[in-house]
Amino acid sequence: MPGNQMSKHITEILDKASIATLSESELNEVRAHVLECMSCRDAYEAARLSAVVLKNRAQVVIEPSPFFQTRVMAALREQQAVESVPAMLRLWRSAKAVVSTMAVTTAALAVVSFMQPSQTAPATEQTASVYSAYSVIMDQDADEQMSYEQVLNTIYDEDDDAR
Amino acid sequence: MDLARRAQDGDESAFAEIVRRYSPRVFSVASRFFRQRPLVEEAAQEVFLKAYTQLGSFEGRGSLEGWLTRIATNTCLNIVRSAKRRPEYTVSDLTDDEESWLEHQSAGDGGEPASVENSVVATDLADRLLSVLSPEDQQALLMIDGEQASVKEVAEATGWSESKVKVRAFRARKKVREAMEKLLSYKGKRAGSVAE
Repeated sequence: MPGNQMSKHITEILDKASIATLSESELNEVRAHVLECMSCRDAYEAARLSAVVLKNRAQVVIEPSPFFQTRVMAALREQQAVESVPAMLRLWRSAKAVVSTMAVTTAALAVVSFMQPSQTAPATEQTASVYSAYSVIMDQDADEQMSYEQVLNTIYDEDDDAR
Repeated sequence: MDLARRAQDGDESAFAEIVRRYSPRVFSVASRFFRQRPLVEEAAQEVFLKAYTQLGSFEGRGSLEGWLTRIATNTCLNIVRSAKRRPEYTVSDLTDDEESWLEHQSAGDGGEPASVENSVVATDLADRLLSVLSPEDQQALLMIDGEQASVKEVAEATGWSESKVKVRAFRARKKVREAMEKLLSYKGKRAGSVAE
């Protein structure tokens, strides 16, 4: 159908520019063509309606409220106030949580450290009881146990006697 | 320029005057991207705060209004880009009001929608069609086809080259036309099924 070739041509005209800005000769060409070509008629109708809705959309403009200037200046001062805070102070503010956590952890560790001796007491008793068991096995009373020094002295004395 | 220089020197009242004088322009730009007042105001405020911090880069070669327009356009584009994507466009979402508006327009009246209600419906339809485009293509099409701005004006407002603006507008116009064709065919099918 020769209309196919023409149809492509017409849609190119429609997409090239807004219908409102097409020249009179271009519009005549489009109008003449759409009388014969169904698909171009749909395209032309869609382009025409699109132009209408876009024009409507462009007319929607929200005006600034009377308080807008005040709002912007307040936001600007707030921004300046934030920027004027010294860098170290800002760093401290952001690091405060970490430092607090560290302090609490240190305090907790200190408390645990002070509690340590009372917790180790039973261990000493255990050692003592082991010692007692040794005494029982060796058939010696705790009072009768000899120190290393005494043992050595005894050995040396025995050697001297032998000589 | 004098106002800009005073603001650069830290004169707060000069900057307040810049806000007062150019806020309608900035609101106009933001209104292309957003339709709800809180969003427009928030974007406009961000524009002025950014402008204040960048005042030093304004050399006075172009107009202050042009400089602010570019900041406004880029700021709004960034906000839209960083926001969540809008839901996918579906032709089946056509409301009764929109269908009625299209019916009325297709009937051959061809005129502008007269009532406020019609205008709102047309604007909703426009947003629906624009949602198929990228924020940049939306901007180009709305300025050229909606506001009748020239390619050069769009290029100045966005910082894009003129050829880039032309490509964006062409691509956007084609997509929107095809989306509108889909809506019209859906409307036709729906009308046919109701008649049956």
